[in-house]
Amino acid sequence: MPLVFAAAASHAPGITAWPDAPPAEQRDAVRAALGAMRDELSAARVDALIMLSSEHWANFFLDHIGAFCVGRGAGFAGPIEPWLNIEKAVVPGDPALATSLVEAAYAGGVEPSYAYELEFDHGTMLPLHFLTPAMDVPVVPVIFNTLAFPQPTAARCFAFGRIIGDVARRSPQRIGIVATGGMSHDPGERNHGTIDSAFDRRFLDAMSKGDNATLTALSAADFTAAGAGAFELLSWIALRGALGPATGRVLGYEAATAWATGVGFMTFDAAKAA
Amino acid sequence: MSAYTLQKMIREVNRRPDRREAYFASRETFAQAYELTPEERAAFVAFDVCKLYALGVHGLILRPFTLLHKMPEPEYLTAIRKDP
Repeated sequence: MPLVFAAAASHAPGITAWPDAPPAEQRDAVRAALGAMRDELSAARVDALIMLSSEHWANFFLDHIGAFCVGRGAGFAGPIEPWLNIEKAVVPGDPALATSLVEAAYAGGVEPSYAYELEFDHGTMLPLHFLTPAMDVPVVPVIFNTLAFPQPTAARCFAFGRIIGDVARRSPQRIGIVATGGMSHDPGERNHGTIDSAFDRRFLDAMSKGDNATLTALSAADFTAAGAGAFELLSWIALRGALGPATGRVLGYEAATAWATGVGFMTFDAAKAA
Repeated sequence: MSAYTLQKMIREVNRRPDRREAYFASRETFAQAYELTPEERAAFVAFDVCKLYALGVHGLILRPFTLLHKMPEPEYLTAIRKDP
């Protein structure tokens, strides 16, 4: 079965927590981008989504940090944040798909951790709130360590993404992959509110074209310069690894100072992924 | 690890409704269950955001914690940008 849907979306919590904080045209542009993404997803008729997202101290602490974690549970409750303005729900999982992903990764030389119990925070719930508001599409979460040093390298994330793409294509189900996070931002830190639009636009351009050399060459210093939250783009790079030659479209980009984040939204021609 | 227990404790307030309730009932009582330095304990009980940040609490633990207190963003940023 071909991969039937692929997208990348920022998950800035302000999109739902403080929806009216930015100028109306900026808020509306973000909603339009997410609406267009939802329309593409609906047309793709996915059976399950693999969600590549970031850790925000929701599931892991410094007592145990791994580079990647695959959720193998039958369901995941979220959001954990009472201030997110998203109703609590239990999102169904897909344990069989998750197991095939873990096994393929180990066979392919990448060893993610896995967990039967994970909770969802804004990193997963915010995109789902717009894409599958009934919370009825099974999700296999893949959580990336994007906040505790050292993070996995861009090249390693890309390699893991290749495996994820292969699993999706081998599945008997219609699979979509959604990467969430980024773009430039420095959440909760002294440079909170600083957005590097030039970095974001270069990144979107490389994602669109599949300029994998540029993406995999990004270093920890490059991400740090764009704000600690820019490490969340590692999940986007993994998505690019899953996509082969498929090209992408930018549905929207906003330097949303009221949400302290450069927010970007893309979909990809998943049927051409190989 | 700098501020390890302090961060772990605040994260529990952020994540766990029962721990959150205990925290808002009494910060002092809540903090008694954790081994903190005197400086950490004083900053936590006083809800001294400037000091908590300076002690090493990660922004993605501290900012959600302050959101539970409904602290506006400009006030948060002023606090963490100050010298303690």
